[in-house]
Amino acid sequence: MARTLRDSFLWRNRVLLTSGALLLLAINIFFTGNRPGARAEKPSLALLWALRPFQNTAADLADDSKGFFRDYLDLVNVRQENAQLKQQVAELQAEHTRFIELQVENHHLANLLELREALGMSAIAARVIGVDPSETSHTVILSQGRNDGLKRDQAVISTDGVVGKLIAVGPDSSRVLLIDDHNSGLDAFDQRSRARGIVAGELDAGMSMKYVDRTEDVRPGDAIVTSGMDGNFPGGLLIGTIAQVSQEGPGLFLNVTVKPAVDFRELEQVLILTQRPAPAAGQD
Amino acid sequence: MRLIALFSIATIIALALETTIPRWLPLGPLMPDLVLVLAVDLGLRHQQATSALLAFGMGYAADSFSGAHLGLDAFVLTLAFLIAYGLSRYLISASAAIGVLVVLIGELLTGLAQYAASAGWDSAGGFGAMAPAIAWRALTSAAIAPWIFALMTSAARMSGLRLHGMRE
Repeated sequence: MARTLRDSFLWRNRVLLTSGALLLLAINIFFTGNRPGARAEKPSLALLWALRPFQNTAADLADDSKGFFRDYLDLVNVRQENAQLKQQVAELQAEHTRFIELQVENHHLANLLELREALGMSAIAARVIGVDPSETSHTVILSQGRNDGLKRDQAVISTDGVVGKLIAVGPDSSRVLLIDDHNSGLDAFDQRSRARGIVAGELDAGMSMKYVDRTEDVRPGDAIVTSGMDGNFPGGLLIGTIAQVSQEGPGLFLNVTVKPAVDFRELEQVLILTQRPAPAAGQD
Repeated sequence: MRLIALFSIATIIALALETTIPRWLPLGPLMPDLVLVLAVDLGLRHQQATSALLAFGMGYAADSFSGAHLGLDAFVLTLAFLIAYGLSRYLISASAAIGVLVVLIGELLTGLAQYAASAGWDSAGGFGAMAPAIAWRALTSAAIAPWIFALMTSAARMSGLRLHGMRE
């Protein structure tokens, strides 16, 4: 009986058949898994939760040793210094860096508190504990999740400007789609001329403002702010500034390149708006 | 069960490193895709249906921390596993060089799939900007692969797992 089973086509090709079925399942998840509340998303949120302690610890270490690493690289080039002196300098530097890090963190948190008060909306501060290893997508992982009152699609901002929105919320951590990701799109306008468009990420990590009519008066240096029409972000939050404007071909729209206000590589503390903004003027 | 435990632990470590190292050192495209190397190692040396499930699970786990499309890494890692499995079956024994080649191809496929999922097949114009980053990541992953294979071989031997023939 066992021999018959082992000789059967299904048994002999079990690895290929299992792989084939899993490829089909992956395709199915790809097309259905991004819907809010999709079943396929639930294990992913559990994984986000499971890895949080590792990421928290690593983020702590990173915060402590970021300056140390840079300074240490400088030190190794100085051949004359003896080992004892190096160690002393490194230790002092690490201590000094830690002190500065605490100062910077305090400063960030104080700024976030000020921003929250200025916005007049309920918001939660969170720390960035992980980044997206992929080159083509731009997301970060935050230290807060559903247990802190976070929900999918909530707006994430920093003291410099708009950061992105939540795309996955686990029990104690969450993932933010940054506004410079190619899948991101944000209703915005030029603060000076009021020209409207959609700010979207580009694959090479830049940002552009799409669908700006070629008759509009937009200039490099103009501030681009949220319109408040998408229901997630309040109006008037800084997204970035126009870096370049060009007109190519007979198209209806301008090519507008936007420089983000936020330096996403240096992002450490953010604020998540847990309250939806009041509808902007002119919104249905 | 030992295989599942070994690769689950390895995946957690790989994902923790991949998502936190860039905060210390801004490696950019030079950050290797450790999970892909693990999936290729599975295909080369652990030829069971459980390994296919593990590769899929590892891809799904990677999806939870990367990209905006759930299922993309699950697909690519299962495919990389399948390529590695197919090659090692037909060549009877697979050397580390074949593993390196599969990692290189797998990472190029991953980059291409991520680009296609983000930009769509019709916008080939933007691919030029992304191609160097994809190529660098593929090369770094391939370069680091032999060490990870060796590490996983030692770990597998220590846990008493039987390995499919592989020349070092």
